[in-house]
Amino acid sequence: MSVPAVEVHNLTKVFSLSLQRDYLVAVKNISFTVGAGEIYGLIGPNGSGKSTTMKVILGLMKPTRGSTSIFGVDSRDVRSRHQVGFLPENPYFYKHLSGWETLQFYGKLCGLKKSVLKDRCAELLAMVDLEDAAKRRLSGYSKGMLQRIGLAQAIIQRPQLVILDEPTAGVDPAGSRKIRDLIMQLKQDGVAVILCSHQLEQVQEVCDRVAIMQKGEMLREGALDDLIAVEDEVELVVKNLPAALQEQIEQLVKDDEKAQLVRVGHPRTTLERLFLSETEAGTKASKTEGEV
Amino acid sequence: MASDSSEQVRDQTKRVEPLVKSPPIFSAQRVWVLMASTFTQLVRMKTFYFLAIFALLVIAASNLNLLYTPVQQLKVIRETSLGAMSIFSWLFAITATAVLIPRDLEDRTLYTILCKPVPRLEYLVGKLLGVLAVIGVALALMCGLFTVILHFQETSIIASEMHHMAQNPRFTEEDRITEAAMIAAYGPDLNLLYGVLAVFLKSAVLAAVAMLVSTFASSSLFTIIITFVVFLIGHFHKMATDFWVVEQQGGWITRMIGKVMILVIPDFQIFNISDSISSGQVVGLATMVEMSGLAALYLGLFTIASWFVFSDKEF
Repeated sequence: MSVPAVEVHNLTKVFSLSLQRDYLVAVKNISFTVGAGEIYGLIGPNGSGKSTTMKVILGLMKPTRGSTSIFGVDSRDVRSRHQVGFLPENPYFYKHLSGWETLQFYGKLCGLKKSVLKDRCAELLAMVDLEDAAKRRLSGYSKGMLQRIGLAQAIIQRPQLVILDEPTAGVDPAGSRKIRDLIMQLKQDGVAVILCSHQLEQVQEVCDRVAIMQKGEMLREGALDDLIAVEDEVELVVKNLPAALQEQIEQLVKDDEKAQLVRVGHPRTTLERLFLSETEAGTKASKTEGEV
Repeated sequence: MASDSSEQVRDQTKRVEPLVKSPPIFSAQRVWVLMASTFTQLVRMKTFYFLAIFALLVIAASNLNLLYTPVQQLKVIRETSLGAMSIFSWLFAITATAVLIPRDLEDRTLYTILCKPVPRLEYLVGKLLGVLAVIGVALALMCGLFTVILHFQETSIIASEMHHMAQNPRFTEEDRITEAAMIAAYGPDLNLLYGVLAVFLKSAVLAAVAMLVSTFASSSLFTIIITFVVFLIGHFHKMATDFWVVEQQGGWITRMIGKVMILVIPDFQIFNISDSISSGQVVGLATMVEMSGLAALYLGLFTIASWFVFSDKEF
């Protein structure tokens, strides 16, 4: 069995509050494992201990009790960061650098060779759709552009683990979709991702496994489908169902002693999908008119 | 969408190889990258605008003719220039170092840097060297400008003096040579370079002190105030040593506090050779080597102390 990307074992983090003999238990004895190539969602209300957990994993904080490791290396060891990319919530980076210079800076910190780095920067700028803004300083970037350059810097050395803290916070639906696609691309490339987000729909869309935290404790943890499945109900989604056949099915259910028909109707799309399809259609239409 | 178990996910995906195999524990290249970034950051904060003010100051000082003797005129340029360099350097060393780490923390840039395989010592050394690089480059530019202006003033004053003396028959050839040599002693020479080097060393130690304070300070303002206080006390180091250590004055508690302060606070007075240099005194190479060694020792000790505090810091 391969080494897990992240292993959190009985992690507890306690903060002492200034000079008072008062303590805040931010994380209480939590354990979980993130497998290689897995997308793991960490969700919970504000102050539930998600960020603290991520910081301990990244070695920015020390555990009070328990341990965390990345690919088998203790998080306190700097070598554990060799295979990690991190995008913090609301990142700012160095405003005096351009997008290109930012990627160069982080690439060099990761030890990328000059020849490799040039191609990698160009590849990532294309991937996050910032080629036109590559030479512009980050002080002139919008929130969405900062998130995208942040994502690019996180994966500059092609890490095997990427930790994303609210990657789509404040980003418009199209930008959000773009970031979602990038996360899916990471999954295709075998990269493990820890995603911390309040956008539960997005978490549901991309994550393999999920942990729900509250007040420092882990309430539920496991495979997403297992967690959200309603065990005593079955859903059939049929395309082009003739009315007669539908009536027959409904009758069969009525005739059964135990089975009970809960609802019949059309599946709903999401507001995000509707928004994207409508805006994309609008863009195409205006382009066609322009050409004519 | 998310139905695959971990094992299935691994089967479906082709694992992409990382671009870097295993980076070294300590890398001079990473320190260089951090230094270069800090240098760029400070330069793009329009730091070098001070050079324009310095140029105006030196030009103004060289054109002051307030009934000065030729020697006094050159002395004024030397004093003004070395004084301006000194003030720029220590002001810059304190303020620039004090804002760098808190700003990185505030902008969360620190997170993204420390989440790469960057040891905290490398981060601190890179930041400190970046500040020192800016001070070094600024001092080199100011020194070059100052030397050129001083050289032109010296040449012009000697020519003017020789012209006047040649018209007066009571001055002999020997008088003229002596006068020219006396004026030339206040022109550009190796001592001036020593003076600039002393200014740099003093600022470097000051920046290291500011870095140590900023690793535990709660704000940039606190760092600036504490470093400035240390800087002031550091100028009375010899006096404190004589009082508390040599003469054993004061109660034992006062003496203990005094001894600790003498150990912790660097002696900034030993870097103050600008006045001697401005007045034309010769500073030996041995003094400069000793001064550089002491500055290196202070830099090393303060960097290690900063690392000790910073390595334990949580973000």
